[in-house]
Amino acid sequence: MDLMHHSSTFLLPTIPLHHRPSLTYALVVLNQTLPRFAPLLWKHAQLRLCADGGANRVFDEMPLLFPEEDASDVRLRYKPDVINGDMDSIRKEVLDFYRSLGTKIIDKSHDQDTTDLHKCITYIWDFAPDANKSSLCILVAGALGGRYDHEMGNLNVLYCFSSLRIVLLSDDSLIYLLPRTHHHEIHIQTSVEGPHCGLIPIGAPSRSSTTTGLRWNLSKYMSTLL
Amino acid sequence: MPLFFPQEGASDVRRRYKPDVIKGDMDSIRREVLEFYASLGTEIVDKSHDQDTTDLHKCVTYIRDSASGLDKSNLCILVVGALGGRFDHEMGNLNVICRFSYMRIVLLSNDSLIHLLPRTYCHEIHIQTSVEGPHCGLIPIGTPSKSSTTTGLQWDLNNTAMEFGGLVSTSNIVKEEKVTVQSDCDLLWTISIKKL
Repeated sequence: MDLMHHSSTFLLPTIPLHHRPSLTYALVVLNQTLPRFAPLLWKHAQLRLCADGGANRVFDEMPLLFPEEDASDVRLRYKPDVINGDMDSIRKEVLDFYRSLGTKIIDKSHDQDTTDLHKCITYIWDFAPDANKSSLCILVAGALGGRYDHEMGNLNVLYCFSSLRIVLLSDDSLIYLLPRTHHHEIHIQTSVEGPHCGLIPIGAPSRSSTTTGLRWNLSKYMSTLL
Repeated sequence: MPLFFPQEGASDVRRRYKPDVIKGDMDSIRREVLEFYASLGTEIVDKSHDQDTTDLHKCVTYIRDSASGLDKSNLCILVVGALGGRFDHEMGNLNVICRFSYMRIVLLSNDSLIHLLPRTYCHEIHIQTSVEGPHCGLIPIGTPSKSSTTTGLQWDLNNTAMEFGGLVSTSNIVKEEKVTVQSDCDLLWTISIKKL
């Protein structure tokens, strides 16, 4: 079984130069209050997408994170590359604003079978050259909290795209999938994350999981959500 | 609680909203809060020695086993503040309702409520349209479902399989005042709460 490395370097002010694995970040902003570290995620990302009403959040709330600056300057600086989704939440003036700045608008209102996040991930998947997919990491802001069915839909996206690194972020926590096909090494960035953590068998029971490095390690225990 | 009644004196509100029991490992409650309620007669159950179960788990077992003067024949436990916040806490709360699947436990946040639909029953959900909906979902939280069937939803399931990594019914819409659900596995029902 291959080894997969994980590290929340996207939460650090600067990513160490020779850090492994070397990843390319994309950011998807969903329609929830921006986490306080949203500007940091934006800085690390090479591609920034808003899922529908996520554009309202960037428009309204980025200036709030820079209260000493002029709101329009902040908005010009934090311009998404793409706005994707079914467009039923984004306000018209926000859409017009970003369109006039050159943001690519992808209207998927005809597609009611997938969530806005799913649409964004598909876009990134199609957009990224095959060679780069394994070094791609998609950060999703505003993925947790809010309507519970949305949160579960976002969680399901992790499973639907289990071969992609996708990190769901809120102000309080981050979550990502550890696919069963790999051993995992998680390098804890203690300056920005922890100590509280968990391993959750969502979707199917686990007969056997093993860990090291935790206060209460798992060792061939049955771990199930009933 | 006083913030919900800004026109009243805070101490009056606090006396009116006095918990019967405070239970848990006591590592978060402020000392002055604990003393205030203890002095009013609230039962304090200190379970700080028990680090194997969550505070919610402790409360549910208390209600199930100990609470006197409570008619338990038709019990429903409402849990406030169960969702959002730390994700591992939220999952721990979810696990409590899965472990106590024979009890009615509703987890609530400002935006949504969730409760388990045990596989052992057919379910009729009477939608209170003045306060909940229309957004809803059915989640196969612990195991994949080979077959689930519903009525009353915009996108009904018809012996449909659901699992994480495949179809999970989210962003569904309640279409009728009665929703029925039948499944081969325990499903989580979630519905949005209207902004009142």
